[in-house]
Amino acid sequence: MSLNTTLQEALESGIDQIGQLRILKNHAEASFVLCHESDLEKVSANRLNDLSSHATPDAARELGLYTPEGEYRFTKGELTLPSGWVFLLESITDLRRTIDLFYPASLGLWNAWKNGTIRTQNLRDKLNRQTGMYRHSRNVSDDGAQHLVATLCGPANKCVKKILWQLDADTPLTDNEASRFDGILGEADESKAIPLVCQEACNFFVAQCRKQSKKEFEESQS
Amino acid sequence: MTQVKVVYGMNFSPKPESALLIVGHGSTENPDSSTPYFDHAREIRERGVFGEVHCCFWKEEPSMREALYMIDADEIYVVPDFISEGYFTQEVIPRELELDGRTTKVHGKTIHYCDPVGIHPSMTSLILQRTAEVAPGVPQEDSTLFIVGHGTGLNKNSTKAIRDQVELIKTLPENNFAEVHDTYMEEPPFIADWGKMTKTKNAVVVPFFIADGLHSYQDIPMMLGFEKEEGLAASQKDVFRNNPYHLQDKVLHYSAAIGTEPMMADVILDLVSSFNTDHLSPA
Repeated sequence: MSLNTTLQEALESGIDQIGQLRILKNHAEASFVLCHESDLEKVSANRLNDLSSHATPDAARELGLYTPEGEYRFTKGELTLPSGWVFLLESITDLRRTIDLFYPASLGLWNAWKNGTIRTQNLRDKLNRQTGMYRHSRNVSDDGAQHLVATLCGPANKCVKKILWQLDADTPLTDNEASRFDGILGEADESKAIPLVCQEACNFFVAQCRKQSKKEFEESQS
Repeated sequence: MTQVKVVYGMNFSPKPESALLIVGHGSTENPDSSTPYFDHAREIRERGVFGEVHCCFWKEEPSMREALYMIDADEIYVVPDFISEGYFTQEVIPRELELDGRTTKVHGKTIHYCDPVGIHPSMTSLILQRTAEVAPGVPQEDSTLFIVGHGTGLNKNSTKAIRDQVELIKTLPENNFAEVHDTYMEEPPFIADWGKMTKTKNAVVVPFFIADGLHSYQDIPMMLGFEKEEGLAASQKDVFRNNPYHLQDKVLHYSAAIGTEPMMADVILDLVSSFNTDHLSPA
């Protein structure tokens, strides 16, 4: 089944949110309307005048590039997506592409996770396959890695994805807000929202493991 | 001045059942870094020659590992939007996409791994086209062309693409530059020595990078001598719009990174065509 069909069926089943995005069907202005959660009331009431309006997906990348404070959002799962825009789309293909520009690969990862076909990789395996400047990331301690999960991941930090990986096959992540997070914002559950899922640690996390291992090495020498 | 127009990719045989995956480096510091990849993808998507067109990155989302989940097609052409064959194209991309050769079956998909854009023959013409745009009316006979790469002691292949371009340009009949040099940021011959190497009145400098980032906005301009220190955010600097620069009794014309050239979409399509001819056609 194509991802377009999967998304279409999800919308028909009542799903209308992913991350900070809300999807409206049967709207007066377009077949599919996509907006920021904080603009939902305005968009539902068709008060679109003070929102920037887009009829094709491409603007989504630029809208998601910076936080409202002007910081570069290189992790797309950050809870810092600016509001003030609306997408008025006529095809499920365009809706899928717009969502993928805000939350790259999110629909495919969710679909694979839902179907049990997702390939997760635990952190130790991920770090052990790094080469070049990142090969030193593998030297991070378990405590150091757990600390990074608690301080980089989760809604309070850089990312609102549900973490699917462990440190290794025998070592789950320590229980905290980040490791517990289900990838869905607010009160909705999986019948209403598509969770954002994390199949393996991102490059930013690996880079932080490298820094942490360097710090640990320097501390051990002093 | 000879105006070189490159026409590749125009006769591309459409592949509506296949996906194109453009792989870029990306950055956690510079949001402009991935813009050309999205531009190349959009251009190709608008031509309707692939069923799907996607981008993925080493340092941004989607990662190479994530990208396969967003593709419906069973057949995927992967084009590394990288300048040289080296660490990333020979080690990182094959590892992340689990490739073991030119064509690999991975998790039910057939992945064709094409050459990187930087080694495509048309890059030579693109460089000359860019020099004509950045220094219009400037006589090539009284100009020295510098192609600038990163250079690193870590991989000898990283400078090969640039050395090859210089040698190719020297053989082209439409090239009338007095001299053409390959130069680097981090290994000799250094671009910082451009003044000593320029025996002509004019110098034209083309950064051989895919994206405009810190290197082309800031580092190379500082080495050339017309940016003094960090100030504005890199992307807000007008380094490409203040040509020409009068430095060291020379007139210097500075180009944006070669990968920002819109014709790169044609280069990508031509790499796919070449892959089919070289690796998929029956002998």
